[in-house]
Amino acid sequence: MEQIILKNLGKPDSHKLENYAASGGYKAIQSALKMRPDNIVQMVKDSGLRGRGGAGFSTGLKWSFIPKDPTIQKYLCCNADEGEPGTFKDRGIMDNDPHLLLEGMMITSYAIGASVAYIYIRGEFDFGARRLDAAIDEAYAKGYLGKNMFGSNFSLDIYVHKGFGAYICGEETALLESIEGLRAQPRKKPPFPALAGLYGKPTVINNVETLACIPAIIEKGPEWFSKIGTEKSPGPKVFCVSGHVKKPGLYELPMGTTVRDLIFNHCGGMLTGRPLKAVIPGGVSAPLLTARELDTPLDFDSLAAKGSMLGSGAVIVMDESACMVKSAYIINRFFSHESCGKCTPCRDGTPWLTRVLKRIEHGEGNPGDIELLESLCTNIFGRTFCPLGDGAVMALRGHLKNFREEFQFHIDHKRCMAS
Amino acid sequence: MVTVKINGKEITVEDNTLILDAARHAGYEIPTFCYQADLVGIGSCRMCLVEIEGQRKLQPSCVTPVLHGMAINTETPTVMSARASMLEFLLANHALDCPVCDKGGECELQDMVYKYGPHKGRHAEPKFKFQEKDYALSPVIIKNSNRCVQCLKCVRVCREVVGANVLGALGRGDHQEETSFFRHFLDCDQDGNCIEVCPVGCFMRLPYRYKTRPWDLKGADTICQWCATGCRMVIEERDGVLIRSKAQFGVGLNSETLCARGRFGNDSMTRAERLKTPLVRRFGKLEPASWQEALAVIKDNVPSDGERIGGIASPRLTNEELYLFQKLFRNVFGSANIDSSARWDPDAVEAFIKAASMDAGGVSVFDCMESETVIVIGSQVSDENPVTDYIIRRISAGRRMNLVIASPRAMKLDSSANLKIRHTAGKAGALLESVILSFNSARVAGTGGLEDMASGRLASVTSEAGVDGEAVESLARKLKSSGSVAIMAGTDFLRFPEGIAKLGLLKDLLKSSGKKVSVLPLLDRANQRGAWEMGVHPSLGPAYARAKQKGLGTDEMLEAVSKGALDFLYIAGSDVASMYPDEGVATAALGRARFLVVQDTFMTDTAKFAHVVLPGAAFGEKEGTFTNQEGRAQAIRRLMHPPGKAKPDLDIIRAIGERFDPSFGPKNFVLALDEIRSGNRMYSNVSLAFNNKKNSDNRLDSKEALVQGAGASDLEAKEFAQKPSAESAEYPFRLITGNHLFHSGKGTMRSETLSGLLKAAVVEISEEDAASLGLKNGDRVRVKSKDYAAVVTLRTARGSKNAHAFLAENFEDCPVNRFLRRGEGPPMVSITRA
Repeated sequence: MEQIILKNLGKPDSHKLENYAASGGYKAIQSALKMRPDNIVQMVKDSGLRGRGGAGFSTGLKWSFIPKDPTIQKYLCCNADEGEPGTFKDRGIMDNDPHLLLEGMMITSYAIGASVAYIYIRGEFDFGARRLDAAIDEAYAKGYLGKNMFGSNFSLDIYVHKGFGAYICGEETALLESIEGLRAQPRKKPPFPALAGLYGKPTVINNVETLACIPAIIEKGPEWFSKIGTEKSPGPKVFCVSGHVKKPGLYELPMGTTVRDLIFNHCGGMLTGRPLKAVIPGGVSAPLLTARELDTPLDFDSLAAKGSMLGSGAVIVMDESACMVKSAYIINRFFSHESCGKCTPCRDGTPWLTRVLKRIEHGEGNPGDIELLESLCTNIFGRTFCPLGDGAVMALRGHLKNFREEFQFHIDHKRCMAS
Repeated sequence: MVTVKINGKEITVEDNTLILDAARHAGYEIPTFCYQADLVGIGSCRMCLVEIEGQRKLQPSCVTPVLHGMAINTETPTVMSARASMLEFLLANHALDCPVCDKGGECELQDMVYKYGPHKGRHAEPKFKFQEKDYALSPVIIKNSNRCVQCLKCVRVCREVVGANVLGALGRGDHQEETSFFRHFLDCDQDGNCIEVCPVGCFMRLPYRYKTRPWDLKGADTICQWCATGCRMVIEERDGVLIRSKAQFGVGLNSETLCARGRFGNDSMTRAERLKTPLVRRFGKLEPASWQEALAVIKDNVPSDGERIGGIASPRLTNEELYLFQKLFRNVFGSANIDSSARWDPDAVEAFIKAASMDAGGVSVFDCMESETVIVIGSQVSDENPVTDYIIRRISAGRRMNLVIASPRAMKLDSSANLKIRHTAGKAGALLESVILSFNSARVAGTGGLEDMASGRLASVTSEAGVDGEAVESLARKLKSSGSVAIMAGTDFLRFPEGIAKLGLLKDLLKSSGKKVSVLPLLDRANQRGAWEMGVHPSLGPAYARAKQKGLGTDEMLEAVSKGALDFLYIAGSDVASMYPDEGVATAALGRARFLVVQDTFMTDTAKFAHVVLPGAAFGEKEGTFTNQEGRAQAIRRLMHPPGKAKPDLDIIRAIGERFDPSFGPKNFVLALDEIRSGNRMYSNVSLAFNNKKNSDNRLDSKEALVQGAGASDLEAKEFAQKPSAESAEYPFRLITGNHLFHSGKGTMRSETLSGLLKAAVVEISEEDAASLGLKNGDRVRVKSKDYAAVVTLRTARGSKNAHAFLAENFEDCPVNRFLRRGEGPPMVSITRA
């Protein structure tokens, strides 16, 4: 398939402006600057592009919520916090093709009328942050950013803001708090950021991959874009494959590629030849799929129908040697460690889950522990302030639903069933 | 208005009402931890989750407004199980050390678990512990984070209401701990509002620690005695010792807030040094005597000529006592020589009453805060009336309005103001005049000569006020564009009466420009307004009616005593020797008094001069009413009996009166209030029941408690000449005074807790001045005027006006009135390293 997002990966010095421009970059923004902003919003709406951060909300629709009043300050925030375990697509784009992201942000800012944009980048991505800073400097030097960029009437400043390693900062309102210099905890919605976001002003928050799709939509048109992938989830998707496969890495494929196709055709199959046991299709908060469900297409709706989700597109593959109790424990430990502390069920519920899972994993489980876990899941799910706690429950429920006998075995025999 | 169904019951409420409030209206209580009406909702504790029909998830009712047609269920099995599960989660890491917890018995977590259960715990894992031992956060706050329920009310009240902003959260998830910056010892307002809002035993009061169980306390619902804000509070005692003062949510204008004085200062009431028996001077020594004896001696010494009798009553006595005091003087002694302040000139008081339209009846602070522009002038409100400061901060943050602060000193409330003006001390009048001229400039424009005159005058008064023209113009613009203006005018107008005329002028000007104007006096003594309205004033009788005969004020009485023109002085509750703004003059006069009666709770500096000392009752030992600065008449309640032979002041004044006229007085405070009501038009509607209403919606303003207008008045506003200050290069600082945040007059120095917070005097100057003198915060410095010098600790303030030094009038080791001189303006002082 033609590479759209990852097209420059692997090319020498792909991060430099001259090489990006030589491969056709910064053309889309120039043609966009000649269009009317609402036409661009309409194009993105027509393309059917859905947010690649995990929720899959229509990008064009999100932009269209921004008030049109030109006297109000508006902001664009690029969510580059990429905290979901197993995900490394945004990092690939920012490290290797920072100008693609910048161009996407320029077009978006123009479309929504934002004169300031922030890239909220995960603190550990120091290399990427430096690459972005250098790219921004190059763009300013060329007159591609700043006052009257590209000789137009439009002006834009982009800033890179580094996070300090909290998963919650990937939640859009916590991200805004963090940029404002406050403690990163989610805000109550409504008001939604499109009306009152950063510093109380209308704000669009988009994922890196989402923004990286924008130049191609402008250049080749929404119709072309909507023909890629499935009808409801059009466009290309970058999958981050990790785990027991021969060739883990980033794969840009059309939406709707099946799990089987991804693992066995693109990634060269299982690492050791041991049979596949489970696949987490969209980052650790997505409930896992079993070997029986490998023909599920990887897109928003097909996975939702299976009770899982596409999430960030982080595909984690586990073979028969993986212990599902340990997997559940490690994933849950992550969530309880990352719980921000704001709401009761997530703050006090997820660590409780972790304590019980740890006990089971270490052969100290008691009869009734599975029921306790399920009951705690019921008490957490849907009652938390933001989706973090829900994510923890979904992951655990996926494990319990498909591999309950492994948990029971751990409790009954005080040892692992898999190894 | 929208109509919603709550548990099937239809109810119509205002738009944007929270589901929580709508449910309460419908009669359903929803439990909460993190919700507090005065704070911005965060919806984090999830106790208040309710079911909205048609919505998949339970919704937090404390941050969700009702929409028309919503059907809400607050008591379904799902909702109840959600409540139980939240409590189960909260208990998972909760210390559960109720038997040793100070909060046991009045803990919201206990109450809720009792009510909503789970009554059996499933959490069998080791709990996370923040620390093994409680740690002190300040001299009054001790903390046990293991009991925290993470409602963040402490952090929010500190930031949103108090404005100190010294608390925050450390850590994340279940390790999140609300505390100071890395648990450092706090140098804050020490008001303990974080303790009050804490639903569990996480923030605790150090002085109360391990003293008692709440059910062993006896309480009285009363009004704070330390300033004229008029906060409602409950004082509690056990075995005759006052142990705790606390505020109540949704009660009084202060709701759940108090300041350091109110919360920690009342322990002074049960000090051992209280006067317990009458004392009579025999052969030069004060010796214990019976009431009979003391009263007989008094009777024998009262001269028959009323002009040779004088009386000074404290503005901390109740309305009933003050009323009786003036009745004793006017009707029994035939004397017009009475005053209620050792500090203020009675003519200045009269002019101030007129300028502030106090005779027009009470003005609610909440109504003032509805104005488009609010000006705070002449008061260091953050220190003088801390809870008024909270009210201004909280309301101004929630609405679009102008808050203008004019003061020589920087204050906490500055951060809420959109214009702050630093004027020279005592020049509030010049500042107001420049604002008036600037406001009027549009009218005068085009008239040539007048315009030049006005602009010349404008330049001169602006420079006299020590402010820049831009600030003046900005304030004038704000006033022009506002339809309603509130002026909160403080006691500095009484200290420097030359500004009062301009205050009145500005008020009249704004009124004549068609604006709604309200003036709220900001006063520092609990019943100062009541004292004036009861007629404890040499020329004004009850309800500001002109007295038949003009008598002498404090200053003139002291002069008369010195000259031998006044033989008998009766001082009730006032410490003239330490509060009169020239100690030398006061002590010389008191020393020369032929017969001095002092009635007080402690052996004050004034009482040491007395011929008869009468032991009075403290505020928690008597009943009556206080009128706060707004004109809100509120009842104080008795908690204990006075110690020893001490008596309520009302009984003492009546006993003296009855020695001369057996039919003199009402037998108790209720009858006294009846007498006030029938004779004083402003008080005709006052009822003791007003302030004892609990407001279910935290609608704090019980306007019915405000006093009425006095009707037509003939108040006079004298013009005051500015008193000279001896300015010289040797003494570069202008000395200003007032109350310290932790103290009120001299009374709070008797409080163990408050004197523990700050006992020794501090002098405050601006950071720039300190830097140019090579001094820093905490240095010991010598403050020297031409008359007196003292060594005190230096505090620096960011943003205060340069060349000003503030020395609070509360401290015993540095009596400010030794710097002050009768007939002179603010003294000039030098500050050097000691």
